[in-house]
Parts: sequence; structure tokens; C-alpha cells
Amino acid sequence: MGAHMSEKKYTKDHEWVSIENEIATIGISNHAQESLGDIVFIELPSVGNLVKAKDEICVVESVKAASDIYAPIDGEIIEVNNNLENDAAIINQDAENEGWIFKMKISDSNQYSELMSKDEYKQFLEQ
Amino acid sequence: MNQLPIDIPLKNFHQNNGAKILPFAGFNMPINYKTGIINEHKNVRNHSGIFDVSHMGQILIENKESYLDKLEKYIPLKLKKLIKNRSHYSFLLNKDGGVIDDLIVSNIYIKNKSYLYIVYNASRKKEDEEIFISCAPNAEKIYNINCLFAIQGPDSFNVLKNIIDIPNNMNFFDILISKYNNNEIIVSRSGYTGEDGFELSLPNESAEKLITDLLKNKNTMLCGLGSRDSLRLEAGLSLYGHELNENITPIEAGLSWALDKERLEDKNLNGNKILSDQLKNKLSNKKIGLISTNKSMLRDGMKLFDNNNNEIGKITSGCFSPNLNKSIAIGYIKSEFNSDNPIFCEIRKKLELVKINNLPFVKKNYKKNGSTYE
Repeated sequence: MGAHMSEKKYTKDHEWVSIENEIATIGISNHAQESLGDIVFIELPSVGNLVKAKDEICVVESVKAASDIYAPIDGEIIEVNNNLENDAAIINQDAENEGWIFKMKISDSNQYSELMSKDEYKQFLEQ
Repeated sequence: MNQLPIDIPLKNFHQNNGAKILPFAGFNMPINYKTGIINEHKNVRNHSGIFDVSHMGQILIENKESYLDKLEKYIPLKLKKLIKNRSHYSFLLNKDGGVIDDLIVSNIYIKNKSYLYIVYNASRKKEDEEIFISCAPNAEKIYNINCLFAIQGPDSFNVLKNIIDIPNNMNFFDILISKYNNNEIIVSRSGYTGEDGFELSLPNESAEKLITDLLKNKNTMLCGLGSRDSLRLEAGLSLYGHELNENITPIEAGLSWALDKERLEDKNLNGNKILSDQLKNKLSNKKIGLISTNKSMLRDGMKLFDNNNNEIGKITSGCFSPNLNKSIAIGYIKSEFNSDNPIFCEIRKKLELVKINNLPFVKKNYKKNGSTYE
């Protein structure tokens, strides 16, 4: 993780985002991984897809249920975490680092600023 | 009217033991504990696991001829001829032979009287109890005073025999009354995981002591409804609200083995004509097991298609199978579909090839006549 890595921000749908040189890295929060339980499969998005904030990007399957992951901001999918193909449980072990899901080239950094900070997300979870 | 979920008596105990509690069928229930559904599932297959299923209905109906006559309208067994200390998987049937509920009926002697002891689904309490009370006005619901636990897995007998007096020769679906902590405890060798195991009904005040005693065995662990579901699915067992409902008969659900065939000739039995006709004729649908050919998950409600894009059925239960490391499912398809042809499941608007697999997915491991076989 580089020196220009920004503060981690969170969405109401329990994704986290961090930004480095206009590249956003996205995953699901530790809270999301805990409530999903054992994750057994992830359908990764396609590299090259142009997406809008709130679009359904990919699906995480736990033993019990499928859960959609949404794009937190507009942009282009430029990389996916292929390690998750073989071992989606990495998300259970380290949701907010090794368990990152995809990277995007973002077009509007204002959208990032509007997301919740770690403290705000914590408060949001307590509501 | 939306009612708040009810707490089971040991809810705090479960929470203190790391349970994730979620509402299920009107109750706050442990779904899984800290190590997760997959670990609990495997522990049951390899050792044993303890489930608190105190949300389920439990009722005692006095063994009186007039009560049993009335109940025989709904339950396809000869209730007056049930052997003492045996349990039976059966149903409450509606007028069309559809399943109002599936349940376990046992003939037991407790509190100095002979009773039918019936265990039924939490989600069907209202419907079932209306029938029970109409047949036997003094039927005693005991789920508010008795907890119900299941210990399941190949170690179950060895874990339990150190705590409760149970005979070596107890077979699957035998039931007896034993003593624990100066209380009467109903012990049946049964369960819903495909493994050997026991269900234990005892007064609430002794329940935490029993579960604590059971957990002293270091190879057993608390398990939640999550692993209970993946275990029963691997064992090919039907679940009410999924494989079973009021519009499906036991025969359509592939459970005709559980019907007393002589009762189907009895006009007093609900749906008897429909059921005996179904036994003689070809059914329009058949129950099948399915297994995923890739990593995608099969889920309840997904549609099934043939090679030519014709819809041929749908999935009624699906999950990840820890034993097979793939997704498995149970569903219904049209009987005329030739099972040698490829079958596809619609998963998020894409058609994925799935394979038909005989039920059960995992061999049952019940104790019968002193030996264990399917």
C-alpha cells in the first residue's frame, strides 16, 4: 500500500473505498463480512466496465445468501482481485486489506469526499 | 399484525457464547456461533454438535380414542396402533392432501399417562394448534415450559450416555423418558441432519445445566440454524415452506414412504382419494437433487430450463455444501423431462449448467438394529 493512500471511506451499503492517484480500491467492510458469515464465492466484475455510483457491480455469496456489491463512485473497473476466485474466504479473514475486491479509475473525486469517514461509519452502524 | 420476535429461554446463554441471533419463524434464534456455519457443519459430520431448537412446537395429546379418531382425519397414520416408545415422521394434511405441516408423532408414557407427543414447525404453530385443539381440547402445549435440544453427529451417543441414562440398543426413532436433574426428560434418537443423534425435551429450569454438561465434551460445540439447514439439505431432507406447502402432497414431495397406505383407503383421511390416485398415476412433477458445475450458488426460487430454453421447474432450497465443496439444491421439475438431458439454472439472468444428483447428497448415518447403515 503506497504512501499516497487516502483515508478509508465507507458507504451505507458497507463498501469501503480508498484512493491513490485517482485509483480507488474497493472492498466490503469488516462489519459486512461479519454479518455475511462464511463467504464461499464471489462473482468478480469485468475489467473495462464503466459504472455509475450505486450500480450493482458484483455479488458475494455466503453459505446462507447472496449479497450485491455496489459501485461507491462513478468510474471504470481497471483491476479485480483474482486471489478471491480461488479463495473467497480471504474476505472473511481480512476484509479491509487483502480482501479488496476491485479497483476503479474514478472520474469525480467529489463523490469520494461525500462518503462516510471511519468514525461516521461507526456511528452509522450504531444507529 | 407484525409481532416482535420472541426470545427462546436460553437466548442470553447463546449470546454469551458468541451466537449471531436473528429472527426466524417469530423467534430470536442462534444462526451461527463464532467459528461459522461451515465449521459447525463439519463438526456435526465428524464429531457432534448441539442445536437449541426450542422455537419448535411441542404438544402432548392424551391417548384417548375420541381424540385420536378426530386427529386421524389429518394425520395419515393409524394413531391408535402406534407402538409405545417409537416416533414417526408424518404430516397434517388438508382436504386436498396438501401438507399443512410435517411433524414427528410419538407414543410415550409421561406424567403417569399415555400421550401422543408431537413436535412440529415453529412457523406453523397457529395452523397446527387450531387442529390439535379442535381434536383434543385439553392438549397441552409444552414448548413454553420445555426447551428442545438436538445433539447430532456420530459422537452423540457417547457424549450423551455420560450424562443421561440411555440404553445401548436404542434405535433411530426410538423414544423414551429418562431422568436428568430430578426432571423427566424426553429422549428420542432422531434429528434432521442425516446423522445419528438425539432430541432432548426438558423443563426450562434444567436446560442450561444440560447444555453446559454436554459442552464439557471437548469435541462437541454449539451449532445454529445455519448449519442445521446445510446439514439437512445434504441429507436430502425436506423443509416446510420450501419443499413442502399446502399445495404439495407428500406423494408429490417424494415422501410417500411416510404414508400409511391402508389409511389412503379410509374416507376419514383428508385428501385420501387424491392421494391414492396419485400413487397409481404418473405425477406431473418430480423432486430432484441438483449440484452446481461451477462455483455459483443455487438458491431457493431460481428457475430451471431445458436445452431449448423451456422452463421445466424451479429450486426450492439451495446452499453451499461443506462436504461437497459445491453448491447443492433440491427442486421440482416436470416428470416428462428426461434426466439425461442437460439442465440449466437461471442465476442472475445467466443460464448455468447444473447436474442432477440423486438424493441424499451425503449418505445418512442412522443407527438401526444395532448397526449403522443407510
